[in-house]
Amino acid sequence: MGEFKGSANAGDLSVALSNDELHILINLVEQLLELLGERNFTHHYQSDDPFAQLMAASLGNLESAIEQPEDPVLRRLLPNAYADAESSAEFRKYTESSLRSVKQSHLMYLREQLVFPVDHELPKADIAVTDPAQWLIAINDLRLALAVRLDIKQESFEKYELMVDSDRQKPLFAVYFWLGGIQESLINHL
Amino acid sequence: MSSQTQIEEELDLSKFFDNLWVAIVWDDPVNLMNYVTYVFIKLFNFSKEKAHKLMMQVHTEGKAMVASGSREEMERVVQQLHEHGLWATLQRDDHGRV
Repeated sequence: MGEFKGSANAGDLSVALSNDELHILINLVEQLLELLGERNFTHHYQSDDPFAQLMAASLGNLESAIEQPEDPVLRRLLPNAYADAESSAEFRKYTESSLRSVKQSHLMYLREQLVFPVDHELPKADIAVTDPAQWLIAINDLRLALAVRLDIKQESFEKYELMVDSDRQKPLFAVYFWLGGIQESLINHL
Repeated sequence: MSSQTQIEEELDLSKFFDNLWVAIVWDDPVNLMNYVTYVFIKLFNFSKEKAHKLMMQVHTEGKAMVASGSREEMERVVQQLHEHGLWATLQRDDHGRV
């Protein structure tokens, strides 16, 4: 279940993932990439695309600050930097798109690493962890996203252990705690 | 010869404190304790002991001040903390009280 071998210092760190585990991870990464890629219209002027900038400018959005995203997952991943809404919106105007891109780049890196074994008979893929720092951040962002959807609290693990198998949320909780185990194990191999 | 008052006026300490900002990390139930410690060491070059102590403060008291400086510096720190998924904000320094 996501055992790490080797060490980051020696440069031979790797993780063994089963096909099922790879499927789950790829699915989560792609969902989060999709969510981070969604922008509402007021974000367009920050884009590098000149056409998008022109569109935004013509709509008079250039001066406006950016409100917090509506999706609670995005609110957690792209949080307010100030206690007051006004300073936060002003800060967001200059920083939110770069924060999004940084998060996207970590997830895209992880997505590229998640390759199924060429030999289909192999029960597990041995995946080289070339950049553990990016792995950690990407896995952490996946956990943060899942935690919002599952409304994770301090006592959630106890709750999960008492869940009946027929509970529809149980598999997602299992994935959340599995990711925590991967992250913990990865830190211990640094 | 200048009096003590004049010196204080020249130094204008109140202005110095007004320009001091702090970055605060808030507790959340998701970020793992050893991940938070790892991020503190990575971003601030803290010793393992100091990073662990600050992480425990976040965990037990709900928040901890992790850096102080100009507003621009603290904005950069908060942005980096957000990049690592920690929940952080900046505010004017309240003379040691967060």
